Amino acid sequence: MSRDGLTRMTKFEVVVSGADAQAVRQVFKAAGATGFTSLSGVSGLGHDGYHQGRLLFNDQAALELLISVVPDEQADALLAGLRPLLDEVPGVMFLSETYVSRPEYFV
Amino acid sequence: MTATLEVGPVQRARLSAEVTLASRILVPSWPLETFIAVNPLGGLVDRPFSEAIAVAESALGARGTLDEVAFREAHAAGRITDSDLRLTLRRLRPDLIDGAPVSVGGASMSLEDLLVAELHNGEPGPAPLRTSLTRSERANTAVAAAVDAQTIKWCSAFLDAGQSAWPMPGRELGFHPAWRQLARRDRSLPSGVRERLREIPERPEDAALQALSSLGVGPDEHRAQFEAHLVSLPGWAAHVRWRGEHSTGIDLVDYLALRLTYEAVLLAEAGYDPDSRPAATPCPAAPTPGERAVTLARALGVGTIGAVELAPIEEALAGVTVDERRLLWLAAYEGHHRDALLESMARPADALAAARPEAQLVCCIDVRSEGLRRHLESLGPYETLGFAGFFAVAIRFSDVAGGASSALCPVLLAPTNDISELAAPGAQAMVDRNLAGRNALAGAEDGFHHAKDDVLGPFALAEASGWAAAPLAASKTLLAGPYGLLRGRLKRSAAPPAPTDLTVQEGFTLEERGLFGEVALTMMGLTEGFARLVVLCGHGSTTENNPYASSLDCGACGGNRGAPNARVACVILNEPAVRDHLATRGIHIPQDTWFIGAEHDTATDQVAIFDRHLIPETHREELESLAADLERAGEGLSVERGLILPGSRSGRPSRVIARRVRARSTDWAQVFPEWGLAGNAAFIVGPRAMTQGLDLQRRAFLHSYEAAVDVDAGALETILTAPLVVAQWINAQYYFSTVDPAVFGAGTKTVHNVVGGIGVMAGHDGDLQMGLPWQSVADGDRLVHEPMRLLAIVQAPLERIAAIVDRNTILQHFFNNGWVSLAAREGFEDVWQRHTPHGWEPWTTGEERER
Repeated sequence: MSRDGLTRMTKFEVVVSGADAQAVRQVFKAAGATGFTSLSGVSGLGHDGYHQGRLLFNDQAALELLISVVPDEQADALLAGLRPLLDEVPGVMFLSETYVSRPEYFV
Repeated sequence: MTATLEVGPVQRARLSAEVTLASRILVPSWPLETFIAVNPLGGLVDRPFSEAIAVAESALGARGTLDEVAFREAHAAGRITDSDLRLTLRRLRPDLIDGAPVSVGGASMSLEDLLVAELHNGEPGPAPLRTSLTRSERANTAVAAAVDAQTIKWCSAFLDAGQSAWPMPGRELGFHPAWRQLARRDRSLPSGVRERLREIPERPEDAALQALSSLGVGPDEHRAQFEAHLVSLPGWAAHVRWRGEHSTGIDLVDYLALRLTYEAVLLAEAGYDPDSRPAATPCPAAPTPGERAVTLARALGVGTIGAVELAPIEEALAGVTVDERRLLWLAAYEGHHRDALLESMARPADALAAARPEAQLVCCIDVRSEGLRRHLESLGPYETLGFAGFFAVAIRFSDVAGGASSALCPVLLAPTNDISELAAPGAQAMVDRNLAGRNALAGAEDGFHHAKDDVLGPFALAEASGWAAAPLAASKTLLAGPYGLLRGRLKRSAAPPAPTDLTVQEGFTLEERGLFGEVALTMMGLTEGFARLVVLCGHGSTTENNPYASSLDCGACGGNRGAPNARVACVILNEPAVRDHLATRGIHIPQDTWFIGAEHDTATDQVAIFDRHLIPETHREELESLAADLERAGEGLSVERGLILPGSRSGRPSRVIARRVRARSTDWAQVFPEWGLAGNAAFIVGPRAMTQGLDLQRRAFLHSYEAAVDVDAGALETILTAPLVVAQWINAQYYFSTVDPAVFGAGTKTVHNVVGGIGVMAGHDGDLQMGLPWQSVADGDRLVHEPMRLLAIVQAPLERIAAIVDRNTILQHFFNNGWVSLAAREGFEDVWQRHTPHGWEPWTTGEERER
């Protein structure tokens, strides 16, 4: 797979309950991330068992996936905020390298 | 301030996380105009209840249960028995009572007897003391008071919701930029302080970090200091937390930046040494097991006791701390009520005599609906059901007057559909007249109040209307009932009711309407046996001069009145296309069934019926008959309530009692317009046959549910993850407002001052009050609300319930951490089971009680 012309960046994917999603968004903002994507009502199986996806009348208890892509040099700032948060708030974080075609959108 | 600190994204992101974690001690507090009951310790539900209240006692200095003196008084009054205490010990702490008897003064005592004796006689523990303190609270209390004063001043100015004539300059920029510009010009501060305030950094994170550095607070202490500042004025901080979640220009980082900045500059001005470490206030100690053993022996009549005899007593008492004793009392207090409640539901009620009910009334799950349902059922072959009062339509509603729209749904949800109220075809002139009349009445009232608030207005007002104002005020106070009737007549005359329609077809797609109908009817278990009239009855409360008015409205409608939701739901369920869809899903609504929206006024117990212009001619006679019975049911309920409202006198004719109850609604001096949800203790999910015929004394949330029609368990999962959550918040709000009214409640109404339309303060300054006023939970020294944690009672297959709990973290927190207890059975023939983290256990056997 050719990555010519693409710019390498760091992608953060965080899954937390809807009630804690705001805290994650605030860390993204404080760390200087210029944007994020969120998907509500995600479901899955974790070490605590199966987690229900969308609940009919409760947005806060359902899980939310938040994604942010930042230049590599900003990754430390996100980690500095997300790690202490996820030490105490239920949730998981995935960090991976990614490639984008419009790097100016992420700076 | 000291030299500028180097701050970058790493420090800012870490600060953001630390503020979030520190703020878990508080939950967001809604503006008063849409008061939402919340669990004040909602941020701690992932911990056991006992641990959460220990944290609150230390961090907030708040009591988490009634004190032992109150529990012992309840025991003396028969509200708790020794049998309850023994059963509690056997269930919760069998390890403590499973041992050899001990000798006390030569007499043998079982460990169970010994522990019960200590529950009765032990010295109560010390009152909780807040140990989470700011630097200034430890080093210079005058500075701490000044920090609080500045916080209140600037937050009041920024958050003002139109009460003051002059808005805060620069408010549109957001809190931090506006305050940063103004603080340096604050002439109430010494010039040295103003000079230091010129150096406030542009970003609030940087300002907070710079202030922490100036105060000599190292990174390891940041979070503790954030928490200390948040709990210093918990009401303001909790409200700012809500603001931060709703993008209103201020958040907790802004709030903490302000507080820390003032603390740093004022302490520096006072010569504070940042390297000093002011000592923490020592906490009063609870008695040791040895001291407790001596106290107990004395209470049992043993004057002197030797070390050999004392040692096993001390060892037995050491198994439970003084604080844990209160939790045992609480469990016994709850157990007494719960055991009786579950026993009362052992057998199903007799089935309705009539094959088809005269009408069906679907009320909100709110505990106050139980009274209306019970009284109506006593009058004829009526069937009643319970369902969350937003009737499954999460709407943003604009009424025909066209004012600001309201989110009419539980705060767990965002409204999904916009609905407007318009004049019905051919009724525009009537609507115009109604609006003109309402505007004229509102304008007169506003003009009077504005004139009072103006600089010169009061003088002119006194000249022009002083002759009438005094008699009017006297009649509003002394003749509240006749005054209310008169005002009602004036309103009907000036603004006669006009028929309106709702934009349901525009607000919902047909697919959404069909799905709504299926979900709502399945959730309430009403999929067959429809009556000719089905009334969806929301609720609201009409009170005068009551800042807490919205706390009496419908919680499922976001602290608003519920009529619009009921009307929308009825429009959908009356639509032929929706009924066609429902038929394909196995729900056949007869052609002669008509859904009607209504609203129960819980202050007057009168039920208003809406959209009469839409009702078919064929149903009008039945509707009038039903309306008459609703009037009678409401009057019966008013009499019932009147006997327990303060100031009532027995021996009066029922009609007089009912009239006096209703007069409270229009009495502007009345601090007890109704008891609201005081007394709430249980959330019951199942068919009405479980509770019909029982007088539940308006203490149970009733959600209808038929396990047989909920084959995929979706309805039960929704009930347990939404209405139960709202009920738990309400229950916890009443609980904590009762056990510590100073911290979790709102104190007495008589000294409340409304602040900028966002909350109340006790007196002219101080903290925003977080919870319910004392007059919502007590009458003088007499508790009207019994502070118990919620009991959820569910009639459904146990495996189904367990599976739902297993896949929903919020329910695991509730049931496994002791915030809510869960009793369940599959059917009437089964015994009640208690949900435990280890599986189901029989609730309470008669044998255990008698042992």
